[in-house]
Amino acid sequence: MSRWQYFVKRLLLTVPVLFAVLTFLFVMLRAGPIDPVAARLGPQAGAADRAQLRERLGLNDPLWEQYVDFITDFITFNFGQSWVVQAERDILDIAINAAPATLWLGFWAILLPLFIGIPLGFYAGLNPNTLGDYTASLGGIIWQALPNFWLCVIALAVLRRTRNGGGPFGFDWYAFGPDFASRNLSITGTPSLEWFSTTDILFLPVPYVSDWTALAIDIKLILPAAIILGSASMAAELRIGRTAMLETVNSNFVETAKAKGLPDRVIVWKHIFRNALIPLLPVITSEAFLLIGGSVIVEQIFNINGLGRIFFQALTQGDLPMAGALLFLFTLIILGLNILQDFLYTVIDPRVGYDQ
Amino acid sequence: MAADERSASAAAATDGARDDDPLIDVRNLQTAFFTDKETIRAVDGIDFSIDSGQTVGIVGESGSGKSVTARSLMGLIESPGRVLRGSSVRYRDLDAVREFARTFAKRTVAVADLAERYDPAEVFGRTDATPEEFGYADPADVPVVDVAAAGYTDEVGLTDGDECVFVLDGDAGSPESIRDGFVEITRLSGEAQRKIRGGRIAMVFQDPLTSLNPVYTVGNQIEEALELHQGLSGKAATQEAAELLEAVGIPDARRRVNEYPHQFSGGMRQRAVIAMALACEPDMLICDEPTTALDVTIQAQILDLIAEIQESRDVAVMFITHDMGVIADVSDRVNVMYAGEIVESADVEPLFADPKHPYTNGLLDSIPGGQVGDKLSTIDGNVPTPNEPATYCRFAPRCPKAFDECESVHPVPTPVDEETDDHTAACLLYPDDVSTEEAVARHRGRDRRGDRE
Repeated sequence: MSRWQYFVKRLLLTVPVLFAVLTFLFVMLRAGPIDPVAARLGPQAGAADRAQLRERLGLNDPLWEQYVDFITDFITFNFGQSWVVQAERDILDIAINAAPATLWLGFWAILLPLFIGIPLGFYAGLNPNTLGDYTASLGGIIWQALPNFWLCVIALAVLRRTRNGGGPFGFDWYAFGPDFASRNLSITGTPSLEWFSTTDILFLPVPYVSDWTALAIDIKLILPAAIILGSASMAAELRIGRTAMLETVNSNFVETAKAKGLPDRVIVWKHIFRNALIPLLPVITSEAFLLIGGSVIVEQIFNINGLGRIFFQALTQGDLPMAGALLFLFTLIILGLNILQDFLYTVIDPRVGYDQ
Repeated sequence: MAADERSASAAAATDGARDDDPLIDVRNLQTAFFTDKETIRAVDGIDFSIDSGQTVGIVGESGSGKSVTARSLMGLIESPGRVLRGSSVRYRDLDAVREFARTFAKRTVAVADLAERYDPAEVFGRTDATPEEFGYADPADVPVVDVAAAGYTDEVGLTDGDECVFVLDGDAGSPESIRDGFVEITRLSGEAQRKIRGGRIAMVFQDPLTSLNPVYTVGNQIEEALELHQGLSGKAATQEAAELLEAVGIPDARRRVNEYPHQFSGGMRQRAVIAMALACEPDMLICDEPTTALDVTIQAQILDLIAEIQESRDVAVMFITHDMGVIADVSDRVNVMYAGEIVESADVEPLFADPKHPYTNGLLDSIPGGQVGDKLSTIDGNVPTPNEPATYCRFAPRCPKAFDECESVHPVPTPVDEETDDHTAACLLYPDDVSTEEAVARHRGRDRRGDRE
């Protein structure tokens, strides 16, 4: 089996997974502890209203019919309307509105660990048992040991105290970079993401940055949340990166490369780097999964109106179709990341799909 | 080596007669690993040489220091290990010396210039060096070149400290005029080191399954060496890589050049590694147990291949193995190593026909394949870790012929009898044409290793 056949096989395998998830969701929603009718009408509703709603929601149809309806609705992204969180509003509409803030947060939360954690880990692995290695490794362990929700609260408390130069050395987070104090902005909140416009190049709309200040404001707004959300991944990537590097540095083919007379630069970047990335890949993508769970808490604390926060509200307020739809979207994201991981594997490692 | 021999060869060198000189001349090589607990003298003062086109075998049990010797020659010893001061490995190929003198003019030294400022009394008075470690009794006899090559550069007035090309005869400033000299391998670093590695001395490692990078094609890895040492790139390099693969007996080389290591079998991979080593047209090939990880039929094929390459390309081969049978097959000369020292050194026929050192005897007795049903004899015990200076015979605890003095006198390589000088054994029993007391007396006090680190 060639590498690309293997990749196509993995791609096809996501279809049954998707159906399994949908079925699970269906069972959860229909057989779960929450009665949809009671959830919508409240405990004081009359029996006639309840019967009417049962009929309208299709709860009296045979189960298989409900199942087929459910599957077709979800696959066509026809999630229906929210019950409680933003009652009577189209769920897809709500999700599309909330998604950009979450994507913006997720983008930075993946980028920061990627460009801080991995280089630090590789540095530590290339210089094992030096002061730099100990500093990076110890920092990584401490950083990983701090729980997200706690870090969020502490970070907010510290940042708030820097107002009007109250921080160490007169540091003022509000005035740092784009000035929040003079604009009367809170240091938490939903990024507006209104800094880009599109222009038509050859009849294709191409986005470009039209308002650099707005971009800077959005980055500053999301940075504390993103650093905290990415902190666990950063530490994990650092530690796995270090181990992967150490293991590769000591492998025989590196000695062969040295014996060939290759300069260190080529050995590190050509021979070690690509091999060290192989064990890191699943770590990076699985950390991305964690971001979805983490975003629920971080968005709540940092007051960001994103998918995570809406999911949290839907869960606590018993908004079943909303929670189900978001779960389905999260599943799609995770499956997408899995496919991306398989794709990267196929590109990096020629042994993928090779049967002995 | 005896003092008079040393001075004789030094005299020959200054006469410009260098035809007898070996390609590689290893003198008092010491490589040690420093841990918190102890210092392991993996290679503890060995001498040997390899002529152009010759195959020299190094044989011994696991842990006797064979691989460390090879890695010391390649400059592949890494922290916490290091080649100790006092060691010298001279690479004597005249082409290489001229090329290095051209490329690294600043690191080139004319020995004649050194001699003017050299004061042996000062060198041996100020440092922990002893004339004995250079094979002389009197400090005044030690030639300046030996002292400088062994790393005592400050003491002989070399301030840069990175000199690695020593010109014995000719003008250091004009490379073409050089008629004799050597590159001191233990003093190489940076680019000079990389020029020798791969370019002049190539190495084939023990485990072909892991010595190729799994994520690049075999062709890519050969082309890399071609580009580095021969300046080939693109189509020309691919073409050459395919030819090399064909030369080492890989069928359908043009297609296989684009395959990954995991698509090759073990034997094929070792052939590919050999092709890679040949890519740089080396003068010497170090084979570190190249057949140990292969099954017997493939072993024979690889040995044949190495022999064939040696003949057609006239490369010197340093062949490391623990297998006496393989050594008998491939070598011209054999060095038997035990616990970091060479205990016996001889041409292959005399060594197998008439082994002198009890350890060599033990090794030969433990070759399987005698009479069916015979119990295979073994040498009891294990190779000790050489973690203290040798002031006794390290083989004595396992030696069937050990006597009292073996515990207190360190044997040095000595001609096995008065007539032969190219068969030496480091055993108190030799030379065997004098009485044991006389032999012990000859070993006593001739230990030239210092007791410093």
